[in-house]
Amino acid sequence: MNLIRGFATTIKHVLEGPVTIQYPEQERPVRERFKGRHALKRYDNGLEKCIGCSLCAAACPADAIWVEAAENTDEERFSPGERYAKTYEINMLRCIFCGYCEDACPTEAIVLEHEYRLSFNDRRDAIYTKDRLIDPPPHGVPATPQVTEPGQFDRSIPDMENPK
Amino acid sequence: MAETVTITIDGQQFQVPKGINLVDAAKMSGTDIPVFCYHPKMDPVGMCRMCLVELGSVVTNRETGEPDVDDNGDPVVRWFPKLQTACTQTVSEGMVVRGATQRVRDARDDILEFILTSHPLDCPICDKGGECPLQNLTMAYGPGESRFVFDDKIRLDKHVPLGDLIYLDRERCIQCARCTRFCDEVVGDDVLAFHERGRRLQIVTISDPPFDTKFSGNTTDICPVGALTTADFRFGARPWELDEVPSICPHCPVGCNISASTRLDRDFGGKKVIKRIMPRQNEHVNEIWICDKGRFGHHHARAEERLTTPLLRRGDEWVAVDWDTAYSEIAGRLKKAGDNVAFLAGNNLSNEDLWELRKLAHRTSNTPRLGVWPAFMTGADAVAQAGVGTGTRLQDMGPDSAILVIASDFEEEAPVWWLQVKQAADRGAKVVVANGRPTKLDRYATEVVHYEYGDAVAVLNSFAARARSKNKIDADFTARVDGAAELEAELKGTRVPFADAAETLLDAEDLVIFAGGEGLTLDQHRELMQAAANLLLLTGHAGKPNNGLVPVWPGANLQGAFDLGFSAETTAALADQPPTVWFIGSADPAAEDAALVQSLANAEFVVVSTQFMTPTAAHANVILPAQSFAEREGTFTNGMRRVQRFYTAQGPVGDTLPEWRIYANIGARLGGDKPRISAALVMRDITQNVPRYAAMAYPALAAVEKQFPDVGGDDLYYGGTAYTNTGGLGIQWPANAEDESARLQVRPVQLDGYQIEGLFAVPVRVLYDRSTLFEQSEMMHTHVPEPFAEINNQDAAHIGIVDGEVIRLNVNGAQHLLTARVNGQAPAGVVLVPQLLSKTPIVIGPAACAIEKIGE
Ligand code: SF4
Ligand code: SF4
Ligand code: FES
Repeated sequence: MNLIRGFATTIKHVLEGPVTIQYPEQERPVRERFKGRHALKRYDNGLEKCIGCSLCAAACPADAIWVEAAENTDEERFSPGERYAKTYEINMLRCIFCGYCEDACPTEAIVLEHEYRLSFNDRRDAIYTKDRLIDPPPHGVPATPQVTEPGQFDRSIPDMENPK
Repeated sequence: MAETVTITIDGQQFQVPKGINLVDAAKMSGTDIPVFCYHPKMDPVGMCRMCLVELGSVVTNRETGEPDVDDNGDPVVRWFPKLQTACTQTVSEGMVVRGATQRVRDARDDILEFILTSHPLDCPICDKGGECPLQNLTMAYGPGESRFVFDDKIRLDKHVPLGDLIYLDRERCIQCARCTRFCDEVVGDDVLAFHERGRRLQIVTISDPPFDTKFSGNTTDICPVGALTTADFRFGARPWELDEVPSICPHCPVGCNISASTRLDRDFGGKKVIKRIMPRQNEHVNEIWICDKGRFGHHHARAEERLTTPLLRRGDEWVAVDWDTAYSEIAGRLKKAGDNVAFLAGNNLSNEDLWELRKLAHRTSNTPRLGVWPAFMTGADAVAQAGVGTGTRLQDMGPDSAILVIASDFEEEAPVWWLQVKQAADRGAKVVVANGRPTKLDRYATEVVHYEYGDAVAVLNSFAARARSKNKIDADFTARVDGAAELEAELKGTRVPFADAAETLLDAEDLVIFAGGEGLTLDQHRELMQAAANLLLLTGHAGKPNNGLVPVWPGANLQGAFDLGFSAETTAALADQPPTVWFIGSADPAAEDAALVQSLANAEFVVVSTQFMTPTAAHANVILPAQSFAEREGTFTNGMRRVQRFYTAQGPVGDTLPEWRIYANIGARLGGDKPRISAALVMRDITQNVPRYAAMAYPALAAVEKQFPDVGGDDLYYGGTAYTNTGGLGIQWPANAEDESARLQVRPVQLDGYQIEGLFAVPVRVLYDRSTLFEQSEMMHTHVPEPFAEINNQDAAHIGIVDGEVIRLNVNGAQHLLTARVNGQAPAGVVLVPQLLSKTPIVIGPAACAIEKIGE
């Protein structure tokens, strides 16, 4: 009797199709809240959201982020306000993709996106520098640094509003 | 501790010193009263209301004098009906304070909410964020939720340069007036002020050039928010990312304790660099202040121009070589030269460097010539006898004390001492300023003595003579002073032209004399120091704290050089008997002394260890790249003979080595021991060989103790950046006068005045100059004047020149184009020539000169 039940299971599985996904030819869509490689975001006007405050680095439990800040001028503006990230690096070998940096960011500049295909031939390549992390400027908008009107971008944090 | 009173804080009784501020008393007893505007180093103003507490006093029965008690046996307390500001209260007997009640909590909550109504909350980009008292107190006492109406938020300028060193963010200012009070009360430079009223109240600078003070950086430390930030640090790092390394300022004899905040930097190859210099609390030295030269003068440590490899001269070219080649070359030459070598030690070599240099010198010759540079001050023996007592604290000097500052432009030579003496004057100390010309300290002086240049010694003598005629000679003390009787006899009949000044000094209980660098010639300076020691020893003002002599040496460690056997007299003698081989350690005589330029050029072989290609190094046959104070450990001995440690803040630049190691390596080639492996071991050698330094082992120098007021605490109690001293308070070596059994010596001084017909040039010092290290700090360049000469008004009128005009100065057979300053500073017949404003030597000592107008 047991023998028959065993064969029945076997036959059932023989008749089912394979479940293996043929990665990399085939890819499965990730979930909306999947946390993959980071991207640094821009505003619609092309300015970088990142203000170089280093709070992501402070929040990072793996000490994977390195930020160095410098000062914006209207002649050479990277981000709104006075401060921008001169150096922004994430070591993807250290990163544990917890997303704390995203939570810590006051301007929603660093976001863990859906990219998960990270492979390197050299461990140094695992350090993603700012130019590898940052999104390209929106279509038709100049890249940073931009020349801006004096007084137009004197605050780093986008205007706060009264709670609704 | 003097009298104490009993106060009750939150039901607990404490004994605290009488008359201190309630906030300080609370801190001493372990209770926190939050403050913004109160600062223990300044008078309270009660502006921010953060320190509100319930205040009352125990009711005492008039008849019995005993406290009234209620039915439970507790003392009856009469409470103020309203909350009171703790910072404006001094403690008194029976004071009762409640800080932990709901009423007080609510008040603090409200005050914080009120302060935050106009605060921009841009903590993420604020340099103070992370070490901000407003953040801390809001977390501790503030409202958890905001009822904030963002539309009503006030908007002010966020980027206001106050001068080129300090930036103001008007939105962040919480109007505590610490910065204005610091400039006004502490420094006495009225450069910042409030403008407008109410919510629009803003800080403005009212001086031209803006924020014109040598202490501007300190306002950024005491500002309890990020309203004031320095151009140097601006966005350099977040405070929690910095490694604090205790260090000592390498620029002047005060020896301010500093903390180098370091961080790795991609622009510097991912290596550690100094991001900012902060003061480090040492109540015996700089309290919590430093000057802007110390704060912003650190860029030499990582300057591009730093020399990185040993260089050998081949014809007209420099060839980079390895250390071994350089050592062999030098060792060979030194062996041959024998007695014909002169060793010259610069003024910011560490004691360890000096020791190894001296050992090397003794290896080449039995009677080595050990000179210091600069060599216009001397008198280390007078200091050894009558130097200020150990434990001296200028901040303890008050109405019973007198301070004589002679032959010094004090603010330019030793800014933080200047600040402390100025504050002593504010507290009622009698300050006598004696110099051949007016200086800034004159403003705060009780008596000002303007003698003719060259008469400094006579002035000191006359004070001593006055002591004699007014019976102010301390007979008990002079019993152990050899030569006292002869000296007294000699003083008899000396005219006393400045009798009031003399009386002012002699009437005081404590007397400190600061002797500066304007003693004219080296010989005269020796007599000046001796005359000062004479006065102090005859009147018994030596051998105890807050009494004695302080030399205002040029540079951070000339005291150490004298202690370890180098002398200015040797340097002076080199002019007459130039050596064939020069060995120069981090000194740049070629920028200051034309005569030495000649003998360097004539020399057969010149070795220079240096961080930069200086005019002196240009004469070298071998250049040895040295490390800056930031890259190694060591000790400096300050003008009050306090030996203090500095620590390694950053990695080495290129192949540079600490100078002690360089010298020891050369010594090893000449048959000496292998070099020590660390500076600590070199210091151990010093402790074993130099009796005065016997106690200066590194662990002892690193000892710290609790300091009061606890401004430095990590809890930021007093709301400012932390200045905790973790690196050691240093140790002073005692002067002979402190040893009761030691015999002391005085001798009559020589009185040859300095006679020159016509105009004569006097070299003076300015703080912001183009000296080797300081000129590397680019941000300070706008503060360094072009080479100038100050000319007396009448003399100028006579020659027909006006302020700001370019003139030709003929001196020592050379001509120099300088900007004339005609502003009433120079006495008649004298042309004041600041040192080191250019790399061309002008005058090194007083010299006859002529001024020519350059045609239109
Ligand atoms: S700038 Fe800073 S120190 Fe000055 S009043 Fe404003 S908050 Fe106080
Ligand atoms: S006073 Fe002197 S020791 Fe102090 S910070 Fe200024 S230059 Fe340095
Ligand atoms: S009012 Fe007392 S600390 Fe400001």
